[in-house]
Amino acid sequence: MRPSGSSKHLACPDCDALFEAPVLKEGEQVLCPQCHALLFHYRRNSLHRASALTIAAGFLFLVANFFPFMTLRAGYRENQMVLSQSVSGLEAQGSPYLGAAVAIFTLVAPTLIIGGLIYLLLPLVASSRRLPGSIPLCRWVYRMRRWNMVEVFLLGALVSLLKLGKLATLTLGISFWAFVGLIICLTAALASIDYRELWARLENAQR
Amino acid sequence: MSAFYPDSAAANGLALCHACGRVERVTLARCPRCDARLHLRNPASLQRTLALTFSAILLYFPANMLPILKVESISGAQANTIVGGVIQFWQSADYPVAIIIFTASVMIPILKIIALLWLCLAARLGRHPLAMTRLYRITELVGRWSMVDVFVVAILVAVVQLGSVISIHPGPAALSFASVVILTMLAAISFDPRLIWDAAAQGEAPHA
Ligand SMILES: [Zn+2]
Repeated sequence: MRPSGSSKHLACPDCDALFEAPVLKEGEQVLCPQCHALLFHYRRNSLHRASALTIAAGFLFLVANFFPFMTLRAGYRENQMVLSQSVSGLEAQGSPYLGAAVAIFTLVAPTLIIGGLIYLLLPLVASSRRLPGSIPLCRWVYRMRRWNMVEVFLLGALVSLLKLGKLATLTLGISFWAFVGLIICLTAALASIDYRELWARLENAQR
Repeated sequence: MSAFYPDSAAANGLALCHACGRVERVTLARCPRCDARLHLRNPASLQRTLALTFSAILLYFPANMLPILKVESISGAQANTIVGGVIQFWQSADYPVAIIIFTASVMIPILKIIALLWLCLAARLGRHPLAMTRLYRITELVGRWSMVDVFVVAILVAVVQLGSVISIHPGPAALSFASVVILTMLAAISFDPRLIWDAAAQGEAPHA
């Protein structure tokens, strides 16, 4: 019998193995029987936890963008840096394309993911509704996830600290610690989303 | 053109929606749930992966030979290449930083380019599909960490604005290097690991 399209079947994105979706218990995972790719991690109410974590990430992201990230002191001079200066500084120094790339990876992608998830998850969790544009937005949020590089930026900040530590005194601002918290919350939020549950609930949600 | 291996979703006329994960008949053309286009395999996967990888190889040379950072201070101007920065950290005994920068900026891009070429070859030869699929997953995962040096430049330029005392400017290699990372990430996204399994099945069974 040829299988027909339905949500009963799963296909592995890495090897195209076709198999029937097993019935899962809380915390169980589905691995591809052929290539052992991790396909799903079933957690009941994954969206509740994800929405709480996303709101926390959104709050920390705002703090990270409106307070000083680092302060540099050399002699009597002092220079405070806010996050957006990592973009505007490059533009001012004649590297607009580089500035645009940094903006996409550290501002646009996280804003789209956090804002998008809040827009998708809150109506779903609160009243099983979906707002207009939810379906294309969900595709975009999923597509943007690999261009969000906040954790790589943090590693860059640590390297910069060590690089400048010998020339000048650097102090970390509130924004730096908010940024660390943002990474923890956003990583946990993205890891806790069961995309199968998200899409199934979006599909069945009232408009 | 290419044959799908028996029992695969594609051999049954079923496509996995790359956006929402639904399995649907490919004849629908678009996913009924999320409206993304349905494909049995990524379109022109190997051509795109190879074109993007070769562009990355071309840009890899200016990225490493030109300065990524220019520092002007009272003691004079100084230009740093990526490898120069690693050597500087190593000589000042900052071994962990030297190792991080060397891994992220030198090792990962080279290994990623080799891995992408190897994967394209595997998609034609079909040997060791399980190991190659694992290589693909690692390649997709680590690529973004190469961007760390670009962020270091961005942060240094922003934080060091001390007027006449010292000033830091981005070098021409910074944009080339960012392009190398972006191109290899796009190449990994274009690559379709399912082609390896198709090729492996063709190798096992003689052509019908
Ligand atoms: Zn698989």
